[in-house]
Amino acid sequence: MLDLELTEDQRSLQNAAIEFARSRLECPDIARRDRDEEFHREGWRQCAEFGVLAMPVPETYGGLGHGPVDMIAAMEGLGYATRDQGLLFSINAHLWTNSIPILAYGTEEQKRKYLPRLSTGELIGANAASEPEAGSDIFSMRTRAERRGDCYVLNGAKTFVSNAPVAGLFVTYATINPSLGALGVTAFLVERDTPGLHVGRPMEKMGLRTSPMAEVVFDNCEIPLAQRLGREGRGVAVFESSMEWERGCILANCLGVMRRQLEECIGHVRARRQFGKPIGKFQSVANRIVDMKVRLETSRPMVYRIGRLKERNLPAMLEAAVAKLYVSDCYVKSCLDAIQIHGGYGYMTEQLIELELRNAVGSSLYSGTTEIQRNIIAAALRL
Amino acid sequence: MNEVKEDIRSYVLQEFLPGESPSNLQDDTPLRTSGILSSVATLQLITFLEEHYKIEVEAHETGVENFDSVADIAAFVVRKKEGRS
Repeated sequence: MLDLELTEDQRSLQNAAIEFARSRLECPDIARRDRDEEFHREGWRQCAEFGVLAMPVPETYGGLGHGPVDMIAAMEGLGYATRDQGLLFSINAHLWTNSIPILAYGTEEQKRKYLPRLSTGELIGANAASEPEAGSDIFSMRTRAERRGDCYVLNGAKTFVSNAPVAGLFVTYATINPSLGALGVTAFLVERDTPGLHVGRPMEKMGLRTSPMAEVVFDNCEIPLAQRLGREGRGVAVFESSMEWERGCILANCLGVMRRQLEECIGHVRARRQFGKPIGKFQSVANRIVDMKVRLETSRPMVYRIGRLKERNLPAMLEAAVAKLYVSDCYVKSCLDAIQIHGGYGYMTEQLIELELRNAVGSSLYSGTTEIQRNIIAAALRL
Repeated sequence: MNEVKEDIRSYVLQEFLPGESPSNLQDDTPLRTSGILSSVATLQLITFLEEHYKIEVEAHETGVENFDSVADIAAFVVRKKEGRS
């Protein structure tokens, strides 16, 4: 694939990520771990050692100081070379909902306290935002943060908290007054051992099953003032900035999967013979491959464009929503094509193609559903 | 005061009422209580005001008493700039 978007260094970084994932994240038992919903702790440790968790964090805080395009290139490489998309999903949740908001909105003390440990992977980050009654309508959240002297007292319940069963730090959103709507939302850094924080049973998912998820309950959970992230009532800005990053970079993994799938499908249709010739010679099969190729080629520039905008500190809310909407749709369609191209074998779990379809479906839901992306785009067009 | 009102009026028309006749946005037209400004939109407006006028708006100041009309908002901004709020 001709790579017009990457510099020589970025291509090297991507190749290194591919080599790393092939040699260190190789997981012959992925089907079992997917079935058992097992988080790959050793894989997490290996990723930290490779430097993935430190990439967007400046060296001052124990990171490697890579830019957004570097990150996208590396994530695309990882997505290409490992089938453990759940592990990569956990890494994305950790980076974009913890490291980046702390870097952008944290006090100097908060940065020094958390970023080095998030960068080494010693501390795993989780994002406690969604609630049972506040999913897409996230800012109608009911979890309260009541100011009492030098602390806030959190009460409420969060759901769909990725990484919760293994996390040591929860970036948590609560409102100082529900009647204020978005103007009351405030972000907090809550450590796992804080009295009053309870992590519920793991939630079983359709896909991304190796990325653990649970509900989290705050029951009179006292948070020192110093643990507030950003200004009171400005949690929306913290949340939106983390979603902007997440929507851009989480799709990079998907690009990698789509690229690998395309290569595997091409190999399959050349080798598989029916009616006396390779099945790729049948136009109806070839057309599926063509569609997969077109989706990949049109998706890549969208994702890298987000990186370029973020690199120049330009807003990317619209571009991220467009990319999220389009790439997640392409991702699901290409997974379905991969199954159809493999016929009955594609439907069998041991081929791991259905695993990728189940993972792909999540992309139209996490970081804002497809419907929410359309709302964002419509709003940006001032409709 | 009039200059501040015009800044706010222009911003609200451009960002939240595209295509609307400027004459329909009066100084006393309700913005929050009419639903023209959601809380997310109000936050966007506040961010604009903070950057434009170099003021800082506290969470407890963001209610309808200060943010329900162009006139209310302008008066609040002027008080802030003068250090009276």
